[in-house]
Amino acid sequence: MNITTSDVVLLAHAGFGVFGTLAAVWVFVEALNAHAENAKRLRTAALIVAACMVIAWILGGDFYLHFYPADKALILRGPWPFAHNLFMETKEHLFFLTLVLSLYLPIAAREKLYENASARRMVLCVAMLITLSGFAMEGFGAIVNHGAKIALLRGGAKASE
Amino acid sequence: MDANVNNSKLSRASASFALAAAISIVVNTVLACAKDTYQPLKTWMASLTGHDWTTQGLAIVGLFVVLGLVIRKTSFTETVPPNRIISVLAGAAITAGIGLFAWYAFF
Repeated sequence: MNITTSDVVLLAHAGFGVFGTLAAVWVFVEALNAHAENAKRLRTAALIVAACMVIAWILGGDFYLHFYPADKALILRGPWPFAHNLFMETKEHLFFLTLVLSLYLPIAAREKLYENASARRMVLCVAMLITLSGFAMEGFGAIVNHGAKIALLRGGAKASE
Repeated sequence: MDANVNNSKLSRASASFALAAAISIVVNTVLACAKDTYQPLKTWMASLTGHDWTTQGLAIVGLFVVLGLVIRKTSFTETVPPNRIISVLAGAAITAGIGLFAWYAFF
């Protein structure tokens, strides 16, 4: 078995992105059922969203700066160059949207949602936006990964012909 | 949800940072498009931290924090209905997200 640093960084990046997105779903459900009893749990979940997305940012940034250039070159030479030109380019900038919303979520969640309908709507809206953009980025990441995979597979197939 | 829910206003911090988030999200999309079309901007951003993407991330998070603190000092958010602030944030996020995808798809 040969697991490299770049493998660990990439998978940890995706993992924290998924945990952050799922925590946003958790916040959404807690806000739907906002009571005094679950207020502390909701705030904890909002902090987990922010922490996961910040860690995903740092890990993703490390991979993007140090390891991704080789993948990029491979993808651009392969049959799916749009995996980089469209999906990776969108993903790397769309992430900041999710990051800012994730940093804002704990601030919005500090209010008493069970007494304040506006604050509750705000948390529901932000949690939903984080969830949708988070899932979109997971999908984009899968397309980027597939772009590199088929570049290798089809390149390898051509070489063996 | 408890029965005594009312249509209270957002706290000043929540409203201020919501507007700061909306502005930061739009600036992020504009900056992504601008550095693609104007290479000197991308080069300058890269010279600050070693990579334009790193600079953009730090700038957007910094803008969010600074704008939030600045808006919080004013009473501006008290004049804006909460639903409008929610709509502005949601509208900014949806427009910026679709805008980014459309930019890389068509330009």
